[in-house]
Amino acid sequence: METSRDDFVIAIRSAFLKKGTQQRFSLLSLILFSIIFLILGSFNLRFIEFNKSIIKEVVYYSSFIVTIPENIIKNSFNKVSDHFEYYDKFVIVQNKLQQLENKDLSKKIITYENVELKRLIDDYFVEDGQVFAKVLADKKSPFLKSVIINKGSKNDIRIGMIVLDDDYLIGRVVEVNFLTSRILLISDINSKVPVTIQPINAQAIMTGFEQQKGKLQYIKDEKLINDLDQELIVVTSGSGGIFKSGIPIGKVNLKNNLNTNEIIVDFYKNFSQLKYLKILSFKQEETQLDQTNKKIFEKNDEVISKINNLQENIKILLQQNIISQEIRNKLENQNTKLNKKIINTQKQLRKQKAKEKKIQIENEEIKFLKLNLLYGHKCRRTFLKAKLYSINSPKYKVCVLNKGIIKKN
Amino acid sequence: MINAKKNIRYFLYKYTPVFLLFTSILNEIDFNNLGVKYFSFNFVYILIFYYNLKRDGGIGYIFIFIAGLFNDVINGIPMGISSLCYLLLCFFAAYLRNITLRPNLVKDWISFLISILILNFITFTYLFWFNNYEIDYLNQTVNIIFTFLLYFIFSHLFTIYDKAIMGRFK
Repeated sequence: METSRDDFVIAIRSAFLKKGTQQRFSLLSLILFSIIFLILGSFNLRFIEFNKSIIKEVVYYSSFIVTIPENIIKNSFNKVSDHFEYYDKFVIVQNKLQQLENKDLSKKIITYENVELKRLIDDYFVEDGQVFAKVLADKKSPFLKSVIINKGSKNDIRIGMIVLDDDYLIGRVVEVNFLTSRILLISDINSKVPVTIQPINAQAIMTGFEQQKGKLQYIKDEKLINDLDQELIVVTSGSGGIFKSGIPIGKVNLKNNLNTNEIIVDFYKNFSQLKYLKILSFKQEETQLDQTNKKIFEKNDEVISKINNLQENIKILLQQNIISQEIRNKLENQNTKLNKKIINTQKQLRKQKAKEKKIQIENEEIKFLKLNLLYGHKCRRTFLKAKLYSINSPKYKVCVLNKGIIKKN
Repeated sequence: MINAKKNIRYFLYKYTPVFLLFTSILNEIDFNNLGVKYFSFNFVYILIFYYNLKRDGGIGYIFIFIAGLFNDVINGIPMGISSLCYLLLCFFAAYLRNITLRPNLVKDWISFLISILILNFITFTYLFWFNNYEIDYLNQTVNIIFTFLLYFIFSHLFTIYDKAIMGRFK
């Protein structure tokens, strides 16, 4: 028993303290060093922060250099696959462009109106600072989904600035070094973004979910969303003041909602393809506006009123068009009915005429027969009156109708 | 000429694990997060455990310590936690090596499972309780399971590589 305990102690001591060949530190000293690192890291001392910042800069740039060959291969592959899909994408893009051009005018009007309304409630934010940065490293950590960019405090990057890619929300800055910064992606489980679900105007909090998706939480009525068939768009709500309101994020995946109770958001951007990012900070617009701004607003107001008038005119013309179309349709219907009626009356008239003719003939026949009874003997050829006419001859008929032979003067 | 060849072989034998360690940490392709649902594994754990178990002194504690710091910086977690985990893994491997008379892959495998369970427990506890990180436990469990399962395959691959490089020279 004593021997086995001794063996155990010896094995542990050997594992902890024995240095390998050409090793300067024992395992125990390095473990202690790690623990010291962890403990000191929890204090926000300037000296420690400075050292950490230097280590981070070195590691980020080392990572960037190491990933160069991998990125070259990845980019080449993407380029080749893009070329293969070029025509299909072109057709889709052309269709989308057509649709977007149609929507553009109404969007402009809505934007102007939105700006005016936000200004009224003092919620209009203007861009305070804008920096473009390149993604240095995109390490897919199991604990933190983030990317490293090549701009830091030297370029006025501050913690909390929001990060966009093509006007779509990507994340926010969570760590700033002198030359580099870290962006926490909205697909990370630790990311919490206050959002609005449009057009139902429901408020929610979005967190990261799986690789490229978000999950909506704290929604007042989840059934309402699940029951809807229309496309739901997720934008930032601006609650809490971290994110500006109205930045597009993605759309609600209705197919997924049918299978599960969770409401999943498909992001507009693919976070694995990030290359250049826009880092922005916003500030609330000052209420005291200078003269140039006033002029711009006045011009905008004029443009808005003109556009509104034009829109009203277009609406009226459209209404008139609809009404005239309806009238035309009615008239056409009536016309077809009347035509039918005319055709029917003509048919009836023809029938009537035919009847009349028949009756006339019958009347003439009756008249002839009556007169034949009375004056037939005056026209009928007999043995004694050989100059008169035979019964079935037309002259006999004329004679009967004339009530006998008309004497010539 | 023969000496030069031997030197190259020895260099490859000694520094390939170091190269693999730093490349897997600094590269963007991370086996810990491959983008595949329900599949990921910690290649670094396998590498460190295997080489510390099979070689006296392993990859080199100082390299492992620095690699841990690099991993923390790149993954954005508190600096020192990965170093601590990697070094503790070295300790488990070194202890196992000291007490083992007849090496057996299955025993190594089971020891590796216990080691990574302890290390993940330390990591999750530290990140969750002291730093308020939210952790996807399902993915982490999957990660542990695949790390455990793939140790068997990778240990064979590493053995084959070592034999191919060193061969009779060893």
